[in-house]
Amino acid sequence: MRPIVSLEDISLRYHSINGETVAVSDLSLSVQSGEFLSIVGPSGCGKSSILSMLAGLIIPSEGKISVNGEIGYMLQKDYLLEWRTIRNNALLGLEIQNKLTPENMAYVETLLNQYGLGDFKDHYPYQLSGGMRQRVALIRTLAIRPDILLLDEPFSALDYQTRLSVSDEIGTIIRKEGKTAILVSHDISEAISLADRVVVLSSRPAQVKKIYNIKLSIEEYSPMKAREAPEFREYFNAIWKELDVHVA
Amino acid sequence: MWHKKNTNSMSSEQAAFLNRLRKRKNAVHGIQWVLLVGFFLLWEIAARLDWIDPFIFSQPSRMLSAGIQMGKDGSLWTHIGTTLWETVAGFVLGTVIGTLTAILLWWNRFISDVAEPYLVVLNSLPKTALAPIIIVWLGNNQTSIIAVALLTSVIVTVMSVLNGFLQVDAEKIKLIQIFGGTKAQILKKVVFPANIPCILNALKINVGLSFVGVIVGEFLVAQSGLGFLIVYGSQIFIWFYKLYVSIRQPHFHFPIIHPYHLNLYFREQIKLKYQFPGKYPYPLNVFRHLIYT
Repeated sequence: MRPIVSLEDISLRYHSINGETVAVSDLSLSVQSGEFLSIVGPSGCGKSSILSMLAGLIIPSEGKISVNGEIGYMLQKDYLLEWRTIRNNALLGLEIQNKLTPENMAYVETLLNQYGLGDFKDHYPYQLSGGMRQRVALIRTLAIRPDILLLDEPFSALDYQTRLSVSDEIGTIIRKEGKTAILVSHDISEAISLADRVVVLSSRPAQVKKIYNIKLSIEEYSPMKAREAPEFREYFNAIWKELDVHVA
Repeated sequence: MWHKKNTNSMSSEQAAFLNRLRKRKNAVHGIQWVLLVGFFLLWEIAARLDWIDPFIFSQPSRMLSAGIQMGKDGSLWTHIGTTLWETVAGFVLGTVIGTLTAILLWWNRFISDVAEPYLVVLNSLPKTALAPIIIVWLGNNQTSIIAVALLTSVIVTVMSVLNGFLQVDAEKIKLIQIFGGTKAQILKKVVFPANIPCILNALKINVGLSFVGVIVGEFLVAQSGLGFLIVYGSQIFIWFYKLYVSIRQPHFHFPIIHPYHLNLYFREQIKLKYQFPGKYPYPLNVFRHLIYT
C-alpha cells in the first residue's frame, strides 16, 4: 500500500549569521493512511521542523517529501483570535481558503455541537476553559477536512489534569473521524497512549533511532484506557531508555 | 432596617473594610476639589490684596468675565472651532498616514531596514521647529497649520504601530500560513486586528501632539484660533506694558479689553475717527481713548 506521507533522506540546515545548524539529517519515514504516529525525541532535536516541512512551511535542504492529502496543523497553543467569536475562530481556515460554502459552515456547526461547544458559539475565547479552547482549535483544523493531522505538542500548554482529559478527548475524536495523525511530543506516556507507532529520534541532527509498534491488550481503545494496559509500562521504560535522558 | 440587613448580609469586618475604602475615596476626591478651588481662590485674593500685580498675573474673576464676554459675542467659539478643526484634521491624518506607512514598512522589511535610521532621527527632531519651513513651502494658510500638526504626530505613529505589528506572536502568523494564507491575509486577519488597541492608543497620544502643532502653527500664520488669540493677546499686552511702565502707575487697572474689539478699533473706528499722525500711534491713542471716554 502506498503511504499517505513519506519522507525520503530528508536533511534540513538552518542558516544564520553565526553559521549553519544541521537540524535534520538523512531522515526517512512513512505513514500509512489512518495511522496515528507519534514522534518523540529530546528537546530541540528538530521534531517541530519535521512538521513544518510536512506542512510546506519550510523547504528541506535535501531529500523528497510526498504528502497525498490535505494537511491540518495543530499548534502548541490554541492561538484562538481573541476578537473573534468561537464560531468565527472555527471558520478561520475556511475563510482563508475561500471555502465558506453553506455546506462547510454547516459542517463546522455540526462539529461544534458534537464536541460540546454548541452553547458557546457566540462566546469569545476568554470565556472558555483551556480544554474547550483546545477543542475549538481542533475543530478549526478539522473544518478544512484534512486527511492528515499534524499535532505539534498540542497539549503542552495545559495543566496536567486538563491535559490528560483533553488528550483523551482529542485522541478519540481523531480516531472517530478516521484521520491520519502525526503527533510530536516530549511526553512519552502521551505518545504511547495515542499512537499506533512511536518513532524515537536522536538528538540533533534528528535521525530515526528506533520505531516501536504499540500493541496493547485492551478491549476497547481509548487513550485513557491505554495508560492502564499492562504493556504500557514496558513501552514507557524502553522508550525512556532509548531517549537516554540525563538529569543533571 | 438597613442596619439589620447590613449585619445579616456581611460581617462587621467586611463592613469596616468597605467603610475604610469609601472614606479613602472621599478623602481623595475632597482634597482634589480643595486644591482646585483653593488655587483659584488664593490667586484671586492675592490679586485683590496686591500681593501680586494683577496687570502681570491677571486674576480669575477677570478671566471669567473676559471669557463670558467673548462667549457672548461668539468670538471665543469661532477661535475654539478653528483650533478644534485643525487639531482633529491633524491627528486623524497623522494616525491614518502613520498607520499606512507602518503597514508598508511591515510589508517590506527591506524598506523598513533602510528607513530605520531616518525614522529615529526624524522622531528625535523637534517637529515644531520645522513649522517656519512648512509655512515657506505651503504658504501662509490653514494647510500649513494642519501640516505642522500632522508632522508632530506621524513619525511617532509609524514607530509605535510598526512596533505593535512586529510584536504579533509569530505562531499566530504561522496559523494563517498553515491554512495557506497570503501576506495580505496575515495582515487582514491577524496583524491589523491584533493592533487595533495599539492604533487607538496612538490616536489618543496624537490628539495631544497635534494640539501642540496647531497652537505653534497658529502662533506663526493664523487669522483665528486659540494660538492666534494667545499671540494677539501677548502683543497687545506688550504694547500696554511698555505704556504702563513708562507712565509709572504700578497699580493702574485697565478695563478688560477683548482683542477682537481692539482689532475693530484699530481697523475701523480709530483710523477713521482720529487720523493719526506719526509712525506708531495705535496703542497710545487706544489708551487715551479708553481712559478719556
